[in-house]
Amino acid sequence: MRAIACHILLICLLAAVDAAAGTVSVVTRDNAIRSENRFFAPVRAKVRYGDRLTIIGRKGDWYQVSAKGVSGWVHKSAVESRSYSASGRGGASGGVSADEVSLAGKGFNPQVEAGYRNANKNLNYAAVDEIEHLVVGEKSLETFIQQGGLIQP
Amino acid sequence: MRTPSSSAALTRLVLLLLCLASAGCRLEDITPEQFGMIASSVQTIGKAARPVSDQEEYYIGRAVAARLTATYPLYRNKRLTEYLNLVGQTLALHTEQPATFGGYHFAVLDTPEINAFACPGGTVLITRGMVASVKNEDELAAVLAHELGHVIHRDGIAAIQSSRWSQALLVIGGQAAREFSPKETAQLVSLFQGSIDDVVKTLVVNGYGREQEKKADRAALGYLAAAGYDPQGLVGYLERLQEAGRGSKGGILATHPGTEERLENVREAGAVSADRSGVPRRSKRFAELVP
Repeated sequence: MRAIACHILLICLLAAVDAAAGTVSVVTRDNAIRSENRFFAPVRAKVRYGDRLTIIGRKGDWYQVSAKGVSGWVHKSAVESRSYSASGRGGASGGVSADEVSLAGKGFNPQVEAGYRNANKNLNYAAVDEIEHLVVGEKSLETFIQQGGLIQP
Repeated sequence: MRTPSSSAALTRLVLLLLCLASAGCRLEDITPEQFGMIASSVQTIGKAARPVSDQEEYYIGRAVAARLTATYPLYRNKRLTEYLNLVGQTLALHTEQPATFGGYHFAVLDTPEINAFACPGGTVLITRGMVASVKNEDELAAVLAHELGHVIHRDGIAAIQSSRWSQALLVIGGQAAREFSPKETAQLVSLFQGSIDDVVKTLVVNGYGREQEKKADRAALGYLAAAGYDPQGLVGYLERLQEAGRGSKGGILATHPGTEERLENVREAGAVSADRSGVPRRSKRFAELVP
């Protein structure tokens, strides 16, 4: 029984480990690979949700990664060690993990939002789009922090 | 969070293991079919039990914001909104989660009511009444830092009844490439609507739990100090709430009870050392925008 339990545990552990060790997926809509491990450092490449990045190293809260022909740094909160195949087929068994399903956008997604909006005409999504549309530039933010005697991140 | 399908899979797995154990079975005795059943059960458990993803949290947050802005219109003061976003983004970069799926966004609602709302995923809405009630940038930052605490602790998502999410996971299933049928989409929309109702009810009517408020305050102290703001701004903000509470019981006082207790908690957390030299110039730029 103990041997079986050990093997079951092993299966669970293997299932939990990323299929492609040493890579991470971008889990934010947009992000950037930066030249240094700090915010406001020059951007070497833009990355998007689901992009796979190869890990080269790690320093504090930052991963050193390579992708799109460049190497640089990305903050740990922007990536996760999960992935999905566009075909929807994962490992040898043809199944995919819950993470793969969520990374593929299966769940509460734009399709569900559209249905919700259609059923509730009184919602103010125009205001939400307006809120999201306002993005302060990095230069403005850096200056604001400096002028206010605040701490650069 | 365990779903019905994961429970069934777990039950199947346990029963299979018990049968094998009672038969004195060793690993090499397991048939390929039995091994397949074990692997399938393990996979089903893994598939079914997953939390709300960051992307899903974003869509929930958008819907919550769409509900709130249907009640309270946006206060369209571009300079003030930009300023609010600069303060909020500065804080967000000093939290443990500087990046969210859709990023952090901050906006003012046009109502004299004193309140602030943390929508899941990173949108923070603060009322015009709240902006008018704080006396400087550091207090404004304290309001936003507290709300960021709720976002990062996923307190809004925690308000969703777990049975709704369990049902949603059953509909979502385990195939990444599959399209939902119209019936499945309708089921998901209904569960989504229920989830939004749960979050809005907590934000507007019931408020978060005492422990959630306490944790958000403690987190806020950390974010303020990390960003270089004076953590005492949180004390100032709570004192403003206390003052407002003498005249009214609506707005934030209905959803954030126990200001006295919160003040005690914050004071108990101890005075976080801070360089206060920047307070005057920050107060000056605040006064220029918030007369």
